Amino acid sequence: MNGKRIVVDPVTRIEGHLRIEAEVENGKIVDAWSAGTMVRGIETILKGRDPRDAWALVGRVCGVCTSTHSLTSVRAVEDALGIKVPPNAELIRNLMFHTLYLQDHVVHFYHLHALDWVDVVSALKADPNEVSRIQRSISKWSKSSPGYFKDVQDRIKKFVASGQLGIFANGYWGHKAYKLPPEINLLGVAHYLEALEWQKEVVKIHTIFGGKHPHPNLVVGGMPCSINLNEVNAINMERLNLVHKLLKEAQEFVSQVYIPDIMAVAPYYLDWAGIGGGLSNYLAYGDLPTGGYEDVKSFRLPRGAVLDRNLNEVQEVNAKDMDQIKEGIGHSWYEYSGGDDVTLHPFDGETKFNYTGPKPPYEHLDVDKKYSWIKTPRWKGHAMEVGPLSRMLVGYAAKQPDIVGIVNDTLGALKLPATVLFSTLGRTAARALESSLISGWALDDYQSLINNIKNGDERTFNPVSWEPSSWPSTAQGVGLTEAPRGALAHFIKIKDQKIENYQLVVPTTWNGSPRDAKGQRSAFEASLIGTPVADLEQPLEIIRTIHSFDPCLACAVHLYSEKGEHVHQLNTF
Amino acid sequence: MVDTRAHLEASDPRPPLVVLGIGNLLMGDEGVGVHAVQLLEPLAGPLGADVVDGGTGGFHLLDLFCEYPYMILIDATLDDQNPGEVKVIEPKYATDYPSSLSAHDIGLKDLIESAQALGASPKVYLITVSIAVIQNMVMDLSPKVEAALGPIKTKVLELALKVHHGMAAPAQT
Repeated sequence: MNGKRIVVDPVTRIEGHLRIEAEVENGKIVDAWSAGTMVRGIETILKGRDPRDAWALVGRVCGVCTSTHSLTSVRAVEDALGIKVPPNAELIRNLMFHTLYLQDHVVHFYHLHALDWVDVVSALKADPNEVSRIQRSISKWSKSSPGYFKDVQDRIKKFVASGQLGIFANGYWGHKAYKLPPEINLLGVAHYLEALEWQKEVVKIHTIFGGKHPHPNLVVGGMPCSINLNEVNAINMERLNLVHKLLKEAQEFVSQVYIPDIMAVAPYYLDWAGIGGGLSNYLAYGDLPTGGYEDVKSFRLPRGAVLDRNLNEVQEVNAKDMDQIKEGIGHSWYEYSGGDDVTLHPFDGETKFNYTGPKPPYEHLDVDKKYSWIKTPRWKGHAMEVGPLSRMLVGYAAKQPDIVGIVNDTLGALKLPATVLFSTLGRTAARALESSLISGWALDDYQSLINNIKNGDERTFNPVSWEPSSWPSTAQGVGLTEAPRGALAHFIKIKDQKIENYQLVVPTTWNGSPRDAKGQRSAFEASLIGTPVADLEQPLEIIRTIHSFDPCLACAVHLYSEKGEHVHQLNTF
Repeated sequence: MVDTRAHLEASDPRPPLVVLGIGNLLMGDEGVGVHAVQLLEPLAGPLGADVVDGGTGGFHLLDLFCEYPYMILIDATLDDQNPGEVKVIEPKYATDYPSSLSAHDIGLKDLIESAQALGASPKVYLITVSIAVIQNMVMDLSPKVEAALGPIKTKVLELALKVHHGMAAPAQT
C-alpha cells in the first residue's frame, strides 16, 4: 500500500452506522472499503411467531423506512398465502408510500445531503436582493422577497454568533470543494428550513390512514382503517380533504422548490456528473401497482435489471428464482453451515453471527478478511446498484413514458447527454425527478380512491385466509418494495402457521456490502474509485458520493457512552 | 401501537401536553419509553394529554415538538446508574440533553435543534430510565426496568398536574 488510508467513521447524516476506509494516492481514491459496523438480527426474533404479526416488528427496525418494512412484510405473507387485497387497500398503501417517498426524498436532499453542496457560512455573505431575484427567476414560489431572505440570513447569523450552530454544526464549512455563490447558498439554507417545516405536515397522511405515526398500522389482507364518508372515527370526507390538501402542497413544494433548487445547483457541480458512477449494473424490483400487486406490468416503477449501462435492454428479475438473488458472507461476520464460499438464496438464508474483526477501538479493519456486518448480495453473480437512479434507469430502459419524458426533458434543459446519469450528481438528480413523478401519481391515486368510494366500494380488507386454520401446512412468499433508497425484499417461510424462516435483503445491503468472495466490489466501494480528495482531513468528497446513495443502516439502534464515544453492540462482540 | 391524537391540522384545538415515549421495542430495555406509553394510553383523557409511541421515529416526530407547548418525554439512558432508576430533568437547550441518551439514529438532539431552528421551544420534562446494557433483538424488559414502569407512571401524573395547574414554568422564555 503506497497511498494514505483515510477513515470516515461514522459517516454522519445517515441512518445507522457506516464506516468507510479509503486509500488515497495523488489526491484520488484508488480503493475503498465499506463496513456496516452495527449488527442486525431481526431475522432471529421473528422465528416461531405468527406471520400476521411480523409487519409490526419489522416496522421497528428503522426510524426512516418504518412503513416500508411493514408493507414489504404484509406483501410477503400475502404472497405466501395467495391473498389479494381490495383496490382501496392498494390505493391507500400507495398513498402512504407516495407520502413516504416525498417526505424521505425531500429530507434526504435538504437535511442529509444538501449541506455537502451548500456552504452555510458562505450564505452569511449573500445579498438578499440578489437571492430574491434568483428565486423569482427559477420558480413561482411565494417566499421570495428580499425581506424574507434577510430574515433567514439573520437567523443563521444568530446561530453563528451564539456559537451554537445546532443543526448546522456538522459541516466542513469553507472547504474549497464548495462552489456555490453566497446567494445560492442562502437559497439552499432557506429551503432547508422550509423543507423541515413542510415535511412535518405531509406525514400526517400516515396518521390518517395508518392510525398512528411513526410506525403506522397495516394488516395482512389490506388496511386496518375503515372508510365511511360520514363517520367521525373512520376515513371520512374531512380526513380525505386533508389528504388532498397535503398532497397538493407536496406537489407544489417539489415543483416550485425542490426541482428548481436541483436545477440551480447542478450547473456549479457538473464535474460531479463524471464522478461517483461506480458499478454499471442497476436493479429495481419495481413498485406502485395500479392493477394489483400480482400484475407486475401495472407497476409505475417497472421491475427489471440493466446491465453494462445498456439502456436498450431490460433483464427480467424474479426474486423467487433460486439462482438469481444470492447472498454471500466471504467478507461478512457471519457463519454459513456450508462454509464461507457458499452463496445462499434468501429462502435458504442463515443468520448466524461470528465476529472475527479487531476489538474496538481499532485503527483499521483487516479488509483482506471479514470486515462488515452486511452480507453481500448478488443478482446472477453481478454486483448491482439499487435506489432512485436504478429505478429511473430501469424505467427508462423499459420505456415507461412518464420516466422517459421527465429524464429527457431534464437532460434537454441542462443540455447534457444521458451518460451524466451514471454519477453522483445523476443519483441526486434521479431522486428529485422521481419525487416529481410521485407527487403527480399521488394525486392520481387520490382521485381513484375517491372515485371508488363514490361508486360504493368501501372495502379495505380481504378476510379470506385470515384464519390460520385455512392455511396450508407449509407456504413461502416474497414481499418486494422499492424503499426510497432502493430495492427491498422480505422472504418468509411459514410452517404449521408459524414463521419458520424470515430473511431481509435491504437496499443498503446491495449498495453498502463488502466485496464478494470473488473480490468484486459493491456499489459504495466501486463508486469511490477515482474520486478526488482535496483535503485528507476533511474528506467532503467521500461524503458527497456516499450520501448520494441515501444509505440506511438503521436495523438496530446505537448508543453513545457518557463521553460521547460510540458504544458498539457489546453483546455481539 | 399508541397514538391518541385526534387533531391533525396544526390549527386544530388539542391538549397543551403530549406524552412521548421513544425507544426501540426490539432492543429490550432500550424500548422502555414505548412500554411506558403503552401503559399510559388509557390515561390520555385524565392526563389531559395526547399520548404517542414515538418508536425510533427521528424526523417523523418533529411536529410533536412544534405543536404542543408542553412535552413529557420518556427515554432510556445508559448512565452507569442502577438499572430502573427514574429521573426527571428539564433540559432547555439541545446541549442540556445527556450525551448518554440513546441516539435513535437521526437523534433526539437533531430533533430538538431542528425544532429550535423552526422557532419552537416547548417546555420539555425528560424522564430518563437507567438501563444497564443494550440487548439486541429482545422484546421483554428486564425485571428491574419493568419495575420502573410504576414510578414512571407516577412521575407522568405529577408532571401533568403541574402543567395543568399552572405550576410549570412558562413554555416560552
